[in-house]
Amino acid sequence: MLTNLLEQIGVSAKSNDFQQITITIKEARIHFSYYKTLINQEQFHHDILSFMQISNCEVHALHELESMIPIEGIKMSSQLDDILLGLTRGAIFVQMDPQLHEGLLIEIPNPKLGRRDYNDTQNEFSVVGPKIGFVENLDTNLTLLRKGLSTEKLKFEELTIGSMSKTRVVIASIEGLTNPQHVNTARQRLLDLDFDVVFETSLLEQLITDNSNSPFPVFLSSERLDRIMYSLLNGEMAIICDGSSSIITGPTSLFSFIISPEDYYLPWIMGSFFRLIRYFGVAFSIFATSFYVAILTFHYTVIPRDLLGPIIESRSNVPFPPLLEVLFLEITIELLREAGSRLPTKVSQTLGIVGGIILGQAAVAAGLTSNILLIIVSLSALASFTTPIFKISNTIRFLRFPLIILASIWGGLGIMIGLILILGHLLRLKSLGTPYIVPLFPFRINSFSDSIIRSNYTMLYNRFFTTRPLSKQRFTVRSNNRDVGDDYNNE
Amino acid sequence: MQQQIKDNHTISGYFVFFTIGVAQAAANIFNLQIVIIREAGQDSWISIILMGLSLHVIIWMIYKMLGNPSKDVITLHNKLFGKYIGSIISLPLVGYYFLMSLYYFRAYIEIVLAWVFPTTRTWAIAAVLICILYYVVSGGFRVIAGFSFMYMFLAPLLLLFYFPMREGELYNLLPMLNHSLMELLKGSKASGFIFFGIEGLLLYFPFLKDSGKHAKWAHFALLYTTLKYAFLMIVTLMYFSQGLLKHSLWPTLAMTKIIELSFIARFEYFYIFLWLLVIVPTVCISIWCCTRILKRVSGLKPGAALPVMLAALFIAVLFFNERTQISALESFINDLGFYFIFAYIPVLFMINLIAVKIKKDLPSGKSS
Repeated sequence: MLTNLLEQIGVSAKSNDFQQITITIKEARIHFSYYKTLINQEQFHHDILSFMQISNCEVHALHELESMIPIEGIKMSSQLDDILLGLTRGAIFVQMDPQLHEGLLIEIPNPKLGRRDYNDTQNEFSVVGPKIGFVENLDTNLTLLRKGLSTEKLKFEELTIGSMSKTRVVIASIEGLTNPQHVNTARQRLLDLDFDVVFETSLLEQLITDNSNSPFPVFLSSERLDRIMYSLLNGEMAIICDGSSSIITGPTSLFSFIISPEDYYLPWIMGSFFRLIRYFGVAFSIFATSFYVAILTFHYTVIPRDLLGPIIESRSNVPFPPLLEVLFLEITIELLREAGSRLPTKVSQTLGIVGGIILGQAAVAAGLTSNILLIIVSLSALASFTTPIFKISNTIRFLRFPLIILASIWGGLGIMIGLILILGHLLRLKSLGTPYIVPLFPFRINSFSDSIIRSNYTMLYNRFFTTRPLSKQRFTVRSNNRDVGDDYNNE
Repeated sequence: MQQQIKDNHTISGYFVFFTIGVAQAAANIFNLQIVIIREAGQDSWISIILMGLSLHVIIWMIYKMLGNPSKDVITLHNKLFGKYIGSIISLPLVGYYFLMSLYYFRAYIEIVLAWVFPTTRTWAIAAVLICILYYVVSGGFRVIAGFSFMYMFLAPLLLLFYFPMREGELYNLLPMLNHSLMELLKGSKASGFIFFGIEGLLLYFPFLKDSGKHAKWAHFALLYTTLKYAFLMIVTLMYFSQGLLKHSLWPTLAMTKIIELSFIARFEYFYIFLWLLVIVPTVCISIWCCTRILKRVSGLKPGAALPVMLAALFIAVLFFNERTQISALESFINDLGFYFIFAYIPVLFMINLIAVKIKKDLPSGKSS
């Protein structure tokens, strides 16, 4: 049993980058323990070592030392676990000779260490609107949020998750607005978690999700500052994780995945129009190819007589049943996408041309697919990319495969069975305990003004009720100050 | 006494519009005309309206019985007849709801088999659909109510009856009112089966919030159904001659067949497939009612009762293979449902009324 904390630490941390040094200032022997790869060396030498030697006063006890060092965030500690955690977070541990059972933990982490500091959004673009995104550094992200929402009500609550990674995870909420129930649920699930390493919020999302066997994401993850701010202001809570450039918010609904921040920067007519286009894209992307299979396999009588000619003509060279034809093309597109996302940008551009133009044309010429199918498949692939959140477009692209299979078995009935299963799943799904497809079910007509369409800002004075925010109103509509009294210049 | 339903299991009161509406929509919308027309001829639509209006009284009775404080029919039985006799009266209801779900389920499979996939086996479709039913019912009443809500999105399909209406002859409705009142009432009785579905309210009543306030939604649902079917009847009568109508099996589908748009022909397929959205919640409500009764009366867990009910449904479906058997089931269900609604509910209402009166008089009698 080692009672000497200095030796205990030395035994526990055996790495080569771990250092323990001792300096003597006027007969006082002071011991430092730290990982040299983690701490801010410059600050250590300048603010602590040199400072002690220059000041040249006599210190007899640790608390004198504590008041001397010009750095904030110093705490006295005698718990080995605490000290080791502090050391791995970039702190130095200072002890003085007679009192070796306790010491000072001084945090001087190196914030720039191995971090990129590039604030542009990487995956979510918008033409108008701010382009500030989050980075992998937790403190930077918190600063961005704090700066964006200049209110004292914004609350951060830090937890440590992961038995190995000891990742800092912050739950952000707005006091008096976010329903504390959501924060409690999230906190409870995070605390119940036992997992060795947490790299990313996407991983956390899967660990604390309501239903882990669902293809649908139940937390909205975004790397855009404006989007997260909007979610927070709507009464959602956010989870920020060190080392992750995306932040997840919840409880969320299916419809918020189709919403792009750009909708709010364009006039409401444009915003609503593009949002509706996106909904159409989602529906088209999920159902188009399965309809093709169902109709050509079973219900060709549904095709009007005028349209039957071109379809037969284009399919006359294809030796396969519609199912194989569709699967061939769909899988080709998925392969192109997967390869394109793994390759460097410059190569993937070439791949797009080769895949999109040459492969498609060649497949038709070789009689592997029909022209009409080529159009449908590429359109539905295109439509699946209109969704602003990457995770939901994955879901959409995935969902069509079971539907295609079902359509090839039972035609339209199969599609309907698939649709009902999806619908049943969505009705059962919950995000942090709130229903997933609000405002459709439970039906909330007031929230439609900001889910299916984005109506005029004078209509958006209420928050999305479905997150059960504590204060319902976003702003009060002031008097209508648009050229009143100037009717037709007839004054 | 019945325990209060937990708040997070209840749904808003106005959902009663959808749960009633969807159940009433499910009942053989495709061939309702031929049953009614036998009795009332071109005045069938009047019969439907008469029936719809009379059902408002039944809904009023249900609300009077079960509301304030909200309870279900089992609590009512227990209150009126005591625990043991009440349970004995409650248990046969399982059979009633089960037969209802069998009726909806088999009728739909019949249409699919006859119209779309003549070569497919009954058991295959039944098996897949039963898996769906299991998934939905095991989600609880909220999920079923959510499904019922989707029925709203099918309402625009009614507009497509503009096409057969355009082809129809208003002259076919004349002469109006040349049937005697007796014939009209017989037609009404025959049309009873299109209004089945309000009985479910007897059991899911306590799951609706604010029991006093949603009565109007139930009445709206009934009104909507009445108008819808009356409209459908008028369109059918305009489109077909009565002689032809008597010999067609599914007049509604035959009418939708003529709808032709520039990108889609043969609309009736869409009707049949989309109708699954109506059939699933309707059967689910009935099955859910069965499990609910079993749970309330015998304490059997729905987790155990549901697979048993669905297995029984699957086996029962297999017994009805031929058209004649299905017709027999249909006519049996029509009578059963009619007497359930117009005999059982009013009798229960009267007994309840008397019981309440006695109870009210009793303390005053004692004190005097």
